[in-house]
Amino acid sequence: MPLAIRRLVAQPSFYATAGAVLVWLVIVAHSHGVGGGAVISGALNYSVFFALVGVGQMLVMASGAGNIDLSIPANITLAAYLSSGQMQGANAGMAAGFAIGLLSGVIIGLANALLILALRIPPMVATLASGLVIESFCFAYSRVSVAKPAPLLVSFTTQRLAGIPLVVIAAIVASAAVIAVLKRSLFGRHIFACGQNMTAAWLAGVNVRRTRVFAYVACSTFAALAGILFAGFTGGPSLNMGSEFLLSSIAVVVIGGTNVAGGQASVVGTWSASIFLFLLLTMLNVFQVDPGLKNVITGALIIAVLALGKANRPQAQ
Amino acid sequence: MRSMLQASGVALLVGLCSTSIAFAAAGVATGDTSKKRIALTDGFSSNSWEQSAWNAWKAVASRAVKDGVIGEQKIITGNDDPAQQITQMQNLILEGYDAIVVDAASPTALNGTIKEACDAGIVVVIYDSLATEPCAIKVNVDYKDYGVQETHYMAQALGEKGNFLEIRGVAGSEVDIDISAGINETLKQYPNMHKVGTVYGNWDGTIAQRQVATVLPTLPQIDGVLTQGGDGYGSLQAFKAAGRKIPTIIMGNRQDELAVWKEMRDKDGYKTFSISSAPGMSTIAFWTAQQILAGKKVPNTFYVPLLAIRENTLDSWLAATPVGTAASPQYTLKDTVELIDDNLAGVKPKDLPQPKLPQ
Repeated sequence: MPLAIRRLVAQPSFYATAGAVLVWLVIVAHSHGVGGGAVISGALNYSVFFALVGVGQMLVMASGAGNIDLSIPANITLAAYLSSGQMQGANAGMAAGFAIGLLSGVIIGLANALLILALRIPPMVATLASGLVIESFCFAYSRVSVAKPAPLLVSFTTQRLAGIPLVVIAAIVASAAVIAVLKRSLFGRHIFACGQNMTAAWLAGVNVRRTRVFAYVACSTFAALAGILFAGFTGGPSLNMGSEFLLSSIAVVVIGGTNVAGGQASVVGTWSASIFLFLLLTMLNVFQVDPGLKNVITGALIIAVLALGKANRPQAQ
Repeated sequence: MRSMLQASGVALLVGLCSTSIAFAAAGVATGDTSKKRIALTDGFSSNSWEQSAWNAWKAVASRAVKDGVIGEQKIITGNDDPAQQITQMQNLILEGYDAIVVDAASPTALNGTIKEACDAGIVVVIYDSLATEPCAIKVNVDYKDYGVQETHYMAQALGEKGNFLEIRGVAGSEVDIDISAGINETLKQYPNMHKVGTVYGNWDGTIAQRQVATVLPTLPQIDGVLTQGGDGYGSLQAFKAAGRKIPTIIMGNRQDELAVWKEMRDKDGYKTFSISSAPGMSTIAFWTAQQILAGKKVPNTFYVPLLAIRENTLDSWLAATPVGTAASPQYTLKDTVELIDDNLAGVKPKDLPQPKLPQ
């Protein structure tokens, strides 16, 4: 096999991308070509939120084995409520709405880092607990405030430029920035160093604490951003809007080729996996598959992608 | 003469007794419940339907406590977790509540605990999400009729022809099966109406939006959407995001669904219909529990009419429904007793179309 093709197949993101393309072809074949472009547009439009959240979760997971952020659903919901509550359905409040939503994300990230690094609580437990606390804030806030996103935000999440939703273009730009940071910047090196061997990284002079704090803050900020945008997309916040993001944020990271043990990450893979999962759902719905069977098929296909991609993932110690 | 007087006296007494006995079976039972304690355990976490149910309960039950009708009331809410609800119920049994009203997080998981409560002499009334334990009284809704009513409306609105999408609820639940059965049976009367797709919205707007979006690109023009409640707003968003013409979507009773219906009606004369089960049935369950404690005979299962909101009543319902909640009447003691008596007599309950709007 020519070198270029071998290199392509060796990418961690290859199987997720191949899976997405394959599923799309199956859908298009079934509908005899009708709506193929609309399927891609729709898939991008819906996957972008999962991809953004996935990129954040990816940064946390890359910083070391056992690192995970389970407060994402509550984070998304709180950012959605706070930003929409600030906007109150008017364009004038949009900037303030974004500011307050993103700020809440940063604060949550710092709080998580405090629990994990200062109090030495395992990340899974710490973020689960902080998620519950944030959920209560959401509950209280939802009762006292009218929360509606600004019309400009709503159209931003649905308008398309040459068939691609504007929000997707913006998210792709943000993701490209993350790739640049991971590949070119010192912070990127430090994250992977921590993930591969925290002791060695510390001995080599990497400020492990600071790196991990940045990872958690970046994750929760991405989640908050996704929450603000998602509220615009769904017409307003709701208390259980974040529930689907918990497991999907982990699924898209892992299926996308990022190593759960840390030390290596794939942004392209995270995106491909988000699109793959949405197209999978599309395929099952279009084929009118029995609901019981849907979960079985979804699980089987995810296992297939992970098994095939096993060779591409370096085994971290 | 004297014996005749005596005889007629006895006859009169017997007559009075039998009428008063008959009166206790129908009508309000007046046993003393002023020291009784009634608790509500709701296995579901907050969505707008549940919140409205709790608000209705709180308003009615705390007023009953204040008026001295019952001694104490309590609400415990859950997290869609049957195991947690079991623990909460067992605590209520230990705390010695006289009646427990349940919205069961699972049709079967709570049966053991409910039986325990019944055996301890506690009155158990279940509403909305029912459990299958026979000893509990069940406040039921005719979900098949839900499907039937919305399909008839759709047929009339679309001129008995067209393509439509069905949005179902949580797969496997009795409610979903019944509503869908009602829809499918009614469709047989309208051969020119074609179901072109089915998705499962789990009675949730966000999930409904996502599911509808997956099938829209590959479907022909959709003229109508048959729903199960909680999913109207989300499916509307999906059509908007896909840039498709908005079909006739049957709405539920959530405030956002009603508000967007009004908005579209005021802007371009959009027409639709709303049907739902009223969250206020928590108050029916409350009064049922109180009446049983007061000595009334109540059928093991009885039915509450569905809440239908039409063009001409949309504005008044919307005005009475705060943001983030669902439209619901609060039922009084009198309403509940009339409902129970109709069910006991085998009479189709008077359509309680607009019970008093909450003040």
